[in-house]
Parts: sequence; structure tokens; C-alpha cells
Amino acid sequence: MAENIKETVLNILQDLTGEDLANNLDDNLFDNALLDSMDTVQLLLELQDQLGVTVPVSEFDRSQWDTAAKIIKKVADAQ
Amino acid sequence: MINLQPYANPMYFVYLLIALVPLMIGLAFGRRFKIYETIVSFLLLFLIFDADKWQQGVALIGYVVFEAALVWGYHRYRSRQNQTWVFVLAVIASIMPLVVVKMTPVFSPHPSLIGFLGISYLTFKSVQMIMEMRDGTIKSFSLWAFIRFLLFFPTISSGPIDRFRRFEQDYEKIPDRDAYIDMVGKGVHYIFIGFLYKYILGYLFGTVALPQVARGAMGMRDAFFGTGLSLELVKYMYTYSMYLFFDFAGYSLFAVGVSYLMGIATPMNFNKPFIAGNIKDFWQRWHMTLSFWFRDFIFMRVTFFIMKHKLVKNRIRVSQVAYLINFLVMGFWHGVTWYYIIYGLFHAAAIIINDIWLRFKKKHRKSLPHNKWTQALAIFITFNVVCFSFLIFSGFLNQLWFAPIPHVSR
Amino acid sequence: MKKKLWQIFGPIAVAFALVAVILVAPLPLGNLNRGTIERAAVSLSPDVLAGQRIKHQAVQDGYVPFFGSSELSRMDAFHPSVLAAKYDRNYRPLLLGAPGTQSLTHFIADQTMIQQLAGKKAVVILSLQWFTKMGQMPDAFAYYFSPMQTIEWLRSAEPKRAADVYAAHRLLKMPVIRDNATLYDATKDIAAGQPISSATMSLLDLRARLLNNEDALFSRYGFKANNLPKIEKAEKQLPAAATYPELNALADKIAAKATSNNDLGIDNHFYSTRLAGGKIDGLKDSQVRFDYRRSPEYGDLELLLEQFARYHVDVQFVIPPINQKWATYTGLSQSMIKTAANKVKHQLTSQGFDRVQDLTQDGKEKYFMQDTIHLGWRGWVKVDETVAPFLEDKQEKPVYHINHHYYSAAWANATSWK
Repeated sequence: MAENIKETVLNILQDLTGEDLANNLDDNLFDNALLDSMDTVQLLLELQDQLGVTVPVSEFDRSQWDTAAKIIKKVADAQ
Repeated sequence: MINLQPYANPMYFVYLLIALVPLMIGLAFGRRFKIYETIVSFLLLFLIFDADKWQQGVALIGYVVFEAALVWGYHRYRSRQNQTWVFVLAVIASIMPLVVVKMTPVFSPHPSLIGFLGISYLTFKSVQMIMEMRDGTIKSFSLWAFIRFLLFFPTISSGPIDRFRRFEQDYEKIPDRDAYIDMVGKGVHYIFIGFLYKYILGYLFGTVALPQVARGAMGMRDAFFGTGLSLELVKYMYTYSMYLFFDFAGYSLFAVGVSYLMGIATPMNFNKPFIAGNIKDFWQRWHMTLSFWFRDFIFMRVTFFIMKHKLVKNRIRVSQVAYLINFLVMGFWHGVTWYYIIYGLFHAAAIIINDIWLRFKKKHRKSLPHNKWTQALAIFITFNVVCFSFLIFSGFLNQLWFAPIPHVSR
Repeated sequence: MKKKLWQIFGPIAVAFALVAVILVAPLPLGNLNRGTIERAAVSLSPDVLAGQRIKHQAVQDGYVPFFGSSELSRMDAFHPSVLAAKYDRNYRPLLLGAPGTQSLTHFIADQTMIQQLAGKKAVVILSLQWFTKMGQMPDAFAYYFSPMQTIEWLRSAEPKRAADVYAAHRLLKMPVIRDNATLYDATKDIAAGQPISSATMSLLDLRARLLNNEDALFSRYGFKANNLPKIEKAEKQLPAAATYPELNALADKIAAKATSNNDLGIDNHFYSTRLAGGKIDGLKDSQVRFDYRRSPEYGDLELLLEQFARYHVDVQFVIPPINQKWATYTGLSQSMIKTAANKVKHQLTSQGFDRVQDLTQDGKEKYFMQDTIHLGWRGWVKVDETVAPFLEDKQEKPVYHINHHYYSAAWANATSWK
């Protein structure tokens, strides 16, 4: 299950950023301009569609969602 | 009767420091004297709204009662049900006082009776409560905590705009002594940078230079085929931009600095905005708490809504629509005048063009040069676009183009 | 921990101590250099008007105060400052006034200077435009407001003296007084005919110390406008020596060139920036209702007069005219002007102020006015014909007898008198 989440999240992020983050799990996505507000909204929607995880917009605190690893953990916790 | 406008003159800081000393000693010993803090806050608020400002004081009380009842009521409702139309009504109701205040000047020569200094900023705080309750991120709610958050005096008149959950955490959790003394050090530092910004640089640009360049530019009203475009106007643009930054950043530093002395880490409002390399970057650095508020509570929600309901298919179109709505609302929030609204539209256009450019750049990354010269050029262009937007924002063009001709005077 | 606290608050404590020392300690101060005074005397700056140190040294150096308003800025070749410098007269004007300064502003601004003027001479250019229904405009008063001079007045004010009670009432009408609680309280005391409470008085003393030091330290940096080049350029237009007829001939020559773009006899630049392009059309008959006969300004003027009388200052008054063509165009009533001028003259001469140069009938003379209401070319020459001998020659001491009736509302509104 955990592997499944990781793969799905990384796939979504690859769609959004155009980069494979499997080896850069701790890169800061916002500082490196890989994600912007538009992308985060899309990320939230994809998580809802593909994994059934509902994350309200106000839950989205940038500092807690700024690396692939953090996002995977957040999603795993929410499931 | 004494009336003290926040941070208006150096004496204010002397009074403030005296009032804060007991509180600071308490915090250094791990205690927050809540009753004392409440009394000091009340007194300082009273001194803003007393004497000939008493009408504003009454308006403030009415506003707080109204918003507190509304947020409390929505909280009661939300703990049992969650209908969209109730949420929408609650949001509309919470911004209604501000809408009335902002619309009044359009129809009447007198300012609205329900207006008071800071209503724009308090409205952000009220609306975010309702939105976060809707999202379920604010679950527990105490009326007292809400009022404390709403009326936190260092930020009451012009921000920075804090978030309820962050503020509560700081308020309830007292830092240990070393951490607190570090906060005090930072707070004092911010306040003194604020003195430099507001009382020295802001004064030089705003009080000394601005009236002169304004007179110069007004004297050129007939220049360039009657448009008033002149070198003097360009001087006005830069002078006003510098004044706006130093005055507002100085004020924000005071608010943040004083918050730090009280053990509250109010977020910063500015981060070297004039070294921004593009407009998007600029809004990450200029009036940050406002732009982040708009990002989180307007832009992201609008895009979320549009994409979820698939109202617009094309992702690029979605962001463009959202930017337009976002900045248009920001324009109206500043005031219902043509120049604030054009200012909003101008920034929406700038950021949309910026996005197009960024996409183009991403596609042609290999063939485009990227070095310190292009970076410098980017900063230069951004700076000038921003200054031009401030010229619109200043309302000076309104005076230049539409003000009646001054009388022949002595 | 102690070290950390010292690092945070030490610099603040030191800074406070230094500022306190500089502002409150009696400072030993030398003289300002002559260039500074020369520049200040023609700067027309509000800081010079409201300040203390520059005026003090100027009077000490033999400058003669010229109290007035906007006409002082019309610095053509025949302006008093230009003539005095060019022909090396034994006086130099210290120009005090700018657009919007009227009797009340001058009364307050004079406080630190008046004692020094005792037995000396001064010139006052009294514009009829001051005598409006409102009198001193509150905005202008606020712009030229000097807390230092006001405190100086308060500290010497006597609650039993009609002049001070009248002045207090007038000051209370100016919103700027309310901005400072101490000043406001003290002024209210005087207005009520009561002495200022001792607590308020000691606050005023401290404030005065502070403001005096501020003035002494910074006043020389305050004025930005440098009009000296203008004066020097104007001097170059004058011959090395000239009789009055020669000056008048030159005035005609210069003025003819400067007023060529309109037939109102108004300076070209003034006309093209303020009146041309249809702007003038809206001003036709715009002054039909102007009335200078009823005004609180008459009482305010009395404040100045009583002050001059108390210190035996010998004063030459000048009442400038209004450009007649302009007056006709805007519908300004000539009979009203005549009555107002007579009323001012009556107030002056009945109390012994006999040196009055009334020019109000000269508005029709060619090249007398630089624009609508401001003296220029020939007008300045005519002023000089009276003022120069008054200042250069020794004069008989005037005898003044002040009449408090002139503070009354009855006089402010009177249109006839005996």
C-alpha cells in the first residue's frame, strides 16, 4: 500500500513538474520553482481523484508540503 | 483628550515600551500576564479611537460584535452541518461591512459611519475564520480567542495579516527564556530598522521630496499633447514608489517588532521586493501577508473550484482567469476608484504575461542566455513595471488628468 | 544573559542619553556665517519665518524685517532686496512672509524677535487680500505654525491683558493648536483669563528648551530655496547709479517685454501658466462678492500694532493696489477697496502709526503690478521712494497710543467710523 502511494504521488509530481523526483525526494519544490500555486491545486485534486485523499486548501501549509518526501508522508498519514 | 495613532510619532514608542515592560518581564519568566495584556491592549485601542475619533470607536465595537456573532454562529452551525449556501452567505455577511465602507465614497461625499481605521485588515481575519471552519481546519473555537486575534493591537491598523491558528499557538505557547530574549533582540532590531525606513527614508521621500516633484509634474499638465506625460512625472513615479515602500515597510516592521516583544512572531510583510526578478517573484516579496492571503483564500480556491467543476478545460486559461479575479478583488479591496481597479488589472496582465514568458523560457531553455546580465535586466524590467503600477496606484494620474484647474491664488 | 540584554538595550540607552544631552543641555553656539544669513534673508522659507536663531542674527547684523506675504517673492530688478544690495544701502531687507502669511502668523512668529527690534525700524506690506471674511486661513497658519514661537508667547502672556486674551481666542480657532495637548491647554487657560497652571508651565519650559536647541542646531539646514542667484541676476539689469525717473524708464522697458502676451499687463509666464488656455474665462466676474471691509484680520492686525507699540518699533506700512484691469475683469468693487483701505488707514493713523504708503489708487498705472495682485517693476520703484529714505535716514520717534476697541467684533465689522 505504502509503495503504491509513493509511486502515485511521484507520478503526479512528474506530470506537474516534468521531472522524475524519485531520487530527489528532499528537494524543495517551491524554492526551485518546480511547483507554483496552480500546480498545488492540481496536486490536491489529483490526490483526491487517484487516492481518495481529501486535503482542504487551508490545510495546505507550504512549509509542510515542500518536498516529495513530505507530501508522500502527509498523504500516507491522511489515508 | 490624548489621542495616539499607532506608530505616528516617537513618543508613541516611549509609552508603548513603558506599557510593555511588565509583560516582557513576565514572558522572560515563562508567564504571560493575560489580564494585564488585555488591559494594555484595551487602553492602546481606546487611545486610537477616543476624542474626535470616537465615532470610529463605536463603529469598531459594532463591527467586532457583528463579526464575533457571525463567526460564532457559523461555528455552531458547522459542527453539525456543512451546506455550501450557508458558507457562501456567511462569507458574504462577513465582508458586508467592508463592502459598505468601500462603496460609500462612490455615492456620497461623506465617509461611511460604520468605517474605522483598520477595517480592511480585520475583515481578512474574520473571513479566514469562516473559510477555515468550512475546510474543517479550525475545529475548536473560543469567542475570546477570536476577539484577541482580531484586535491584536500591534497589527490593528494596517497588518501584517496573521493566521488564527499560528497566532493562537504563539499566544498559548511561551518560548523559553533564551528563545524569548532572541525574539526581543529581533523585535528591537526590526523597530529600529523601521525608524530608519519610516521616519528617515520615508520622510525624505514622502514629506520632503514628494510635494516638490508633485508640483513639478502638475506644472507639466499640458505636456506631450495634453497627456501630462513628462520627465517630472517619471520623477514622481520613482519618488512615490520609494516613499510607499519605506513608509509601509517601516510601519510593518514596527508591527512585527512590537509583536515579537510580546512573544508573538507575526509574519514579515516585505522581503527586499525591489530585487524581484519577475512579477511573480515580486508578489512573494511585497506586502507578503496580503498576497499570501489572496493566494490561499482566493487564487487557490478559485482554481480549485474551476478545475474541480471543469468549468474551463485549459489549465493555462484557468490560471489566467484566477489571476484576473484575484487581482481585481485586490484592486476593489484597495478602494472603489478607477485607479485601484486599473492597478489590479495591470498586475493581473503583468503576471499573465510573465507566465507566458516563463513557459516560453522553459521550452527554449537551451537557446536563451542566462547570466548575471540577463538577471540584472530582469530585475530592472520588473522594478520599472512595478513602479509604473505604483504610479497608477498613487491616484496622482487622477489629479493630473481630472482635477479642476487650481485657482489663481496669491 | 546579562550580556545579551546589554547588547539589545545598551545601544538604545546610550542613544537616548546622547539625544537628551543634545536637546536639553544649554549649547554654546557661535555665529552663523554671513553667507547663510544672506541666503536666509531672501529665502522666504517657513523655517526662517518660524525659527529663532537666523532672525536673531540677521537683526543683529543690521537687516530690517520686511513683513509681508506673496508679493515678497516677486524678485524683479526693482525688488527691495535687489535695490538695497545693488546700491549698497545701509540696510538689507530680511524678508519674512510667503503666500498665506497674515497678521496672526506674523504676530506669533515675531515672539522671539520683538524684544530685539525695540527702538528699531521695520516695514510691513499689508495686503487687502488678507482682510477676508475668515481672516487668517487655518491651513496656511498650520503650514507656518511654530510651536517654539507659540510657547514663547504663552510663557509671556498675561491673562489680564486684552491682547493676549484676544490672541488666545484666535489661536483656538486654528485646528493645529489642538494637535498638542500642552499648547492647547495653556491657550485655553489664557483665553479664559486665567494664569497657566504651573504643571503645564513647566512642561512648556521643557518643551521650549528642546525646541530652542533644535532651532539652534538645525535651522541653518532648514531652508532649501536659494534665491540669491535670482537677486544677483536682477542686480545685473540695473545701472551703477540711477535717479528714480531713470529707474522708472528702465522698469517700463523691462516690463513691456515681460508682459507682451496679454493685454492685462500681467507677466507672460504667470499669464500662460495660470490664465491662458481658457482658464481666464471662468474667472470673469468671479470676485464681485469679495468684501475686505469685514474681517477678523482687523483684530489680528491690532495684535501686531500693540506689539510694535510696546517695543517702540518704528514701522513703515505699505498697502499695495490691485491690478485695475484685472479688478475690472473679475468685478472687484472699487468702492469696497476704497472703504477697506480707509478702514485700515484709520486703524493705523488713529493710534499713531502715521507712516502709511497707500498705493491702492495706483492699480491703473502701467507696469505697476507684476500680475494680478502683486507689486512689480514700477510698483517696487514707488515703494522704494518711500521706504529707502525711511530706512536710511534718522527718523523722529513715533508716539503710539493703543486703543483696545480695535480688537472688538464691532470694529471687525464696522463700515463707517468717526
